[in-house]
This record gives sequence, structure tokens and C-alpha cells, in this order.
Amino acid sequence: MTHIHSDDVLRELVAGTIGSAQLREVQRRKDGGRFARVRALEQERVPWPDRIIVPLQEHLYVVEADPVPVVKCRCGVELGDYRCNWKEQALVYERDAQDGEVFVGPRGAPSEWVVLREFYCPGCAAQLDVEVVPIGYPFVHNFVPDLGTLAELEAAE
Amino acid sequence: MATLATRSVKKRLLEREELLRETGHYEASLDAKAEDPVRFEILFTKAMQATLNAREVARLVSASPVTRELGETVFGLYTPEGDAVCLSNGLMLHVRTISRMIKWMIRNDYEDRVGFRPGDFFFNNDPYIGGSHGPDQMIVCPIFHGDELIGWTGGLTHVVETGSVEPGGMGVASTSRFSEGLFLPCVRIAENDEVLHDLEVLVDRNVRESTSWLLDNRAKIAGSRMVRDRIVELADEFGRDYYLKAVHEYVEDSLVATRETVKRYLFPGVYREVAWRGFSVDDRALLLHAPLELTVTKDGGLILDWDGLSSAGQHPFQATLPCFEAILFNALIQYVFFDTRYNEGTFNVVELRVPEGSACNPPDIFHATAQWGPAYGGGVAASQALSRAYYAMGYREEVRASNAAVSGMTYGGLDQYGRPAGGWNMEFSASGSWAQGLHDGLDTSLAEFNAEGDMGDAEVWERTIPIVYLGRTIHRDGGGFGRHRGGSGIYSVYLVKNSSKLDVGSFGVAPIHSAPGLMGGYPSPVQYVCRLDGSNLRELIERQAPLPHGEGDDPAQPEVTRLVEGKLTTFLGGSAVPRPLAEYDLWIQTSGDGGGFGDPLERSPTLVARDLENGVTTVRAAKDVYGVIVAEEDHVPDLEATEERRRELRRARLARGIPAAEYKRRTRERLLERALPQHTREMFADVLGASAAFRARFTEFWDLPSDFEV
Repeated sequence: MTHIHSDDVLRELVAGTIGSAQLREVQRRKDGGRFARVRALEQERVPWPDRIIVPLQEHLYVVEADPVPVVKCRCGVELGDYRCNWKEQALVYERDAQDGEVFVGPRGAPSEWVVLREFYCPGCAAQLDVEVVPIGYPFVHNFVPDLGTLAELEAAE
Repeated sequence: MATLATRSVKKRLLEREELLRETGHYEASLDAKAEDPVRFEILFTKAMQATLNAREVARLVSASPVTRELGETVFGLYTPEGDAVCLSNGLMLHVRTISRMIKWMIRNDYEDRVGFRPGDFFFNNDPYIGGSHGPDQMIVCPIFHGDELIGWTGGLTHVVETGSVEPGGMGVASTSRFSEGLFLPCVRIAENDEVLHDLEVLVDRNVRESTSWLLDNRAKIAGSRMVRDRIVELADEFGRDYYLKAVHEYVEDSLVATRETVKRYLFPGVYREVAWRGFSVDDRALLLHAPLELTVTKDGGLILDWDGLSSAGQHPFQATLPCFEAILFNALIQYVFFDTRYNEGTFNVVELRVPEGSACNPPDIFHATAQWGPAYGGGVAASQALSRAYYAMGYREEVRASNAAVSGMTYGGLDQYGRPAGGWNMEFSASGSWAQGLHDGLDTSLAEFNAEGDMGDAEVWERTIPIVYLGRTIHRDGGGFGRHRGGSGIYSVYLVKNSSKLDVGSFGVAPIHSAPGLMGGYPSPVQYVCRLDGSNLRELIERQAPLPHGEGDDPAQPEVTRLVEGKLTTFLGGSAVPRPLAEYDLWIQTSGDGGGFGDPLERSPTLVARDLENGVTTVRAAKDVYGVIVAEEDHVPDLEATEERRRELRRARLARGIPAAEYKRRTRERLLERALPQHTREMFADVLGASAAFRARFTEFWDLPSDFEV
């Protein structure tokens, strides 16, 4: 099958190193079957052999595991059953936005309104998410992929 | 069987709805498309061109900088039943609200009780019928071909003064609709293409200055006439029957294409996001919750469930249901369906669940709605969730953080020519855009509600409002920090000049970070506005001393705190009731900034250095947030020192972060001690009472009894 964009172009897209002219081209002319191609390119980038089922977000993947797929960071740390919220396995820091470290002057929200809840990977310390929430708000479970559609998506390739 | 011409338009609307409900299709076949796809596309292109022409001409007829300079207007073509067929660029969200207006008239028997006649024009600014607040003013006209109604066309502009208690129709202190100005719900304002004079008198005597309203009416009538007359020509050219078949097929064609688009680009699954809005105005404050559960279904459907929305209340920071629908329609056509023929068919793949009585679906038509509130936050939540769906599917080029909330200065009193005046400065149409997954947001570029927005020339605003710009600069460190940063908005300093009586205020949001980051990016900063009373500006100007032109090098100590004397009041969140401001006093206005994407410690040091050179970030942020060490004299990054600094910042994360289980244990204690701050407690009390599902999620997550009260 001939693709509009080569693997080299998509490799740069996935790595985040794609140039602006090429990016405009990718934005303008969209090819189908992207899922399986990008997943294969993601597999090239990770230092572990586990098979990626779905890239979840920056740094995180749903990978094959027994008995159920798990969420795994690019650094290799596993963050639990993919159906559960990976944030439950992360490190958490509740930041008072007025602490002067990120926002200064009147730019940080008073903690009576909201705080910044930062989630770090316990392995590589990557900042995986920053929630803006009032104190006492449950963790937001951002995404549970429907893996029942995988066969169809893979066939689209 | 009755022919099309003899059936009432209401009957046609009900039949069309039944067809959709029973079959999932808007039109039973795509025969016209199949028989001659080129002819099919030619008619569509010509019809769409008519709406584009109408928009450009209307801009030139209007006298309002908002319409003329900023392009806050849109025109659409509709089926006889009121469904959008095609639309111009511009304020596209309102294509949906205009549709609501047409259908409201049809459902309420206007055909029999008021009459639809050639040459009629109808006006509406009732947001519970269509629109979001009084300034959203739409005019539609029926299109007749011979004696048959073959469709509708109409346009909308954003009018700057509506006779509300607070000038400009965008008040922040209203407790009900009755202080939000003049509403005219679906009123005939022209017959035989002639504007009715008595309606103009009614407007003229009910608003502070009527020029914007009345000339915008003429702009919309001019644009609508252009579309109407062109469509009649096209019905002649293509044949009436073909035209009517084709317009319905365009909607059906979109419905099918939209479903395929979802299947192609968005990974099926369940996505959850939360956005926050609210206000802090004088002694009243409220935090509003806008949680989204988005389900992308296998068959290309989108279910947007807003269970858990805060309740409606006695304040204007909420939205009508037509407004909420329109905002989501706008987000979807700009973000997902940009390469389809977007119209009513686009929305038919969406199942929208909005709790009755909530702040996006108030229980009656008397609730104030000038400020949209969580509806705009809903657009934020939707774009975040859709970004995750694009990401998983591999379309990384479409991933983005959230858009800016906007804030604008409002004014009323006497202008520099001594005339009654009221309105707002809408330069926030050029707020900072969201960071994308692969590049930074654009500074001072757009607002979500009008992707073609423009800030307008400062000189034009100065001609309209009795102010002088001391400066209009890019909001330094405005966009949310991240691997790619959000776009920064505007920081303006206005000096009041040549007015003996001027009230100045602003609309905004709560003192929160309203544009969240995505996948590790930080949100935008809290918006704020300031007023400086009793300034010594006249004296500073006379002795040619340095004046405040922007925020300066240090956001912690803006120029207004260092260069000028006077009583400075800061409004966190950007909402302030208009109050008198004297000549030579100052108003400082920030627009909005976009959210950041990805971990800021992964940002390219070269990009940080470029931002320093361009004056859009600070050495402090470079070092403390991005971990980039630069040479003081030329901002060239020291890569070795940067690596060390980033290692240090990562170690600090590991040291201060605690395991989630421990965090949950500690927070649970706080909940059991009832130690929540007031705004948080009030928000939870409302939402836990309104939503059983949210209560279950909340109590389960914190391991609390199911009847727990905050």
C-alpha cells in the first residue's frame, strides 16, 4: 500500500522533530491507517520489548501483559492495569500556585480556589500531567481505550 | 399526496425530524450527488460563496469596530426546515443558534400567526431561543421561489451595547435576565425589504448608543438580501426541485462524512476531562464545575455527557442550552470536522447530555447568561479529550492543549465627543492560542469563538472609546509552560482621556487557571485586570517621565506598580463591575493565554532562548520552569549547565512527590475534618447534591460513606 507520508516523515512526527513545512503537509493531507504505522514507530522508540497496544499519551503506553494489559512509561516503570487510572501509581505533588516557583505575582491562583496537582513518573520523574482542581477533587481518569476495536484498526492498515 | 408547496413548513420540519429519528438519515437518498457529483458540488460552492460575499459586504456596511475590524459576524444558508446547509467563515458557532431561531418560529406557528412573506426580516437576540447573550443579534429572512418557501438565510453580529444595567450587555453582576438589557425575541423588523421605523425608535430609546445596533441591523439585512437573491437565481438556474433535493442531501452527506471522520481520526474509548469557571465579583464568588465524559463509539458517534455540571444560579456566569450547543458545534467543526462540509449534519453524530437546571441548561428563561460560564469551559474539556483521541490514533499533528478564556474591558458614560456611550473593547479576539503537540501556540492570534479574530487597530478603539493606549504588548510568560508553550495574549494599558464621565469594568472568569495544559504542560496564568485611581499620569507626562507601557521585565512587579502613583486595585480573574474612572487614571487589561503541552523540562533550550530574545519569556522562567541556563548578555543557552539544572529539577520532583496512596490518605483526612475552603466546599455541596454519579465517584475515590457531606 502506498502512503501519502513516508515512514521517515511519520518517524519525525512521532519523535516531535518534524519541521514546520513538513508538518503543514501532514496536517493538510491526511492518510488513513495511521494507527498501526504510528504504533510500530513508537515500538521502535521504546527501550523494552513488550508489545505496545495503544499509545496513551506522552511517555505512556498500554502494553501487553498477563493477565491484562498495563500502562507502562517509556522509562520502563509500570503503572498498573490499563482499565484503572495510572495516576494512582504515580508520584503526586499538590502545588499551591502562589508558591512563586511556576507563577509569580498575581498570576498564581489562590489555593482557596484551585491548586495544581502534578503527577510524576516515579522512575524518570517526567511530569505526566498537571491537573487544575480544587482541593479534594478526585483524580481525573482521562482515558480508557476501547480495545475491542483493535482488530478493525489494525486491518485498516 | 400533498406536494411540497402545499405542505406547511412546520409539517415539513416534523417529518424531517421523524425521518432522522426513525432511520438515522436526514435525507433518504443521495441521488442528486450520485447522478452528477460535479453539478452537486457546483451548486454547493455557489451557495457557500453567496454566504462568504454576504459576510464581507456586511462588514463594510457596519459601523462597529467589532463587526468591521474584528469580523465578528457570520452568514448561513438554511433548509426550509431551518437546518444549516452552508455557512461563511467568521463567528461560526452561531450558525447553530440561528438555526434554533428559525425552528423556534416554525414550532411556535409563526407561519400562521405572524406570517412568512417575501421581503420579511426577523430579528432575535433572546439567548434562550438562539444566541448566547443579548449582544448576539441575528436577523433571518425567508427565501421564496415563486410562492414556495425554499429556505432561509441570515446573519449574526456581536453588538456592543444592549441597554443593560452594566454598559455593553456583558455585565458581571446581573442576578437575572432583567438587568441584561433589551431583548427582542423573533420580531419582524422589516417588510418588503424596508426597515420598520417604529422598531428603530424602540431600540434608539432603550440603549446608550444605538448606532452599532441599528447599523449592524442594516449590515445583516444587506448580507441576507444578497444571499436570498442569489439563491433565487440558483433555484432558477438549477431548477427548484433540484435545489430542494440538493440542500437536503448536503446535510445528509455531512452526516455520513462526519461519522466516517470520527471513525478514521479518533480512537474509540471513554475520555474524561474537567474544566472550571466561576467568578469573584465584589462580595460574591462561586466556583463552577464543568466535567465531561466523552465516549467515542465504534460506529463513529460522539456522546458528550455533562453529568455533574454545577447548578444554575442568580448570576450571569452561565449559558443557555443553545449557547452551549453552539460552542460545542464550533469546537467540533474547527477541531475535528474541518475538512468536511460542516452544517447541521455535522452535529447529528453528536449525542449531547446536559443536565436540566444546570449552569448550561438553566431551569427557566429568567436566569442571566451574559458570561457563558462553564459552556466555554466545556469547549476546553472537549478539545482536551479529543486531543487524547487523536493522539492514540496517531494523528499527532492535531493534538493541542486548551484555548484561552477571554477577558475584555467594558465601559459606559460619555465619549470623547460628549455623546452617551457604552460597549466594550474586544481586542481579546486576538488571545493566545493553545500549544500544539508539535509546536508552540501563537501569540495574540485568535479566540476559540472566532478563529479569524483580529484585535483591531488601537487607533480605531481610541476613536470609539475615550481612552489612549499607553501600550499594547504581548503578555510575557502568558502562555502555559510546556514542551511547547501556549500562545500569549495581550497586555494593554489604557489611559482615560477626554471624558467627563466614564465607568470602566471588565468581564472575565474566576481567579483560577482557566486554560489547562495537556500531558504534563502547565495551564495559563490567572487572568487579572487593574485599575489605578488618582494617578499622577498628567504630571508624569508633563515632565516627560517614563510611563507604564506594559508589564515590564518582572511580572511580579509590573510597571504600573513602579512608575506611577495612585491607588491600585487588582481584580483576579478579570471580572470587575464598571465604576467611575477619572481622566488620567489607568485601566490594565489582559486578554487570554493558551495552555501548554508536555513536560517543560523537555523544551528545546533553543526555543527558550528564542523566546528570551523576543521578550516573551523571562530568565526566571527559563531557569526555574524550563531548567534552561542562558548567558546573561546574549541568552545563548549553556547546554551543560542546562542538563545539570534539569537533573536537579527532576531530583526535586522525586523528593517532593508522594505516592498517590499517601496523597489520598492525607486528603481524605482533610475532607473528614471538613477543612475545605469556602468556594470549594460550596461547589462540592452543589454538585454532590445534583449528581448521583458524581457523588458515587467522589465517595468511592476518597473511601468515604455514600452520604458524606462536605
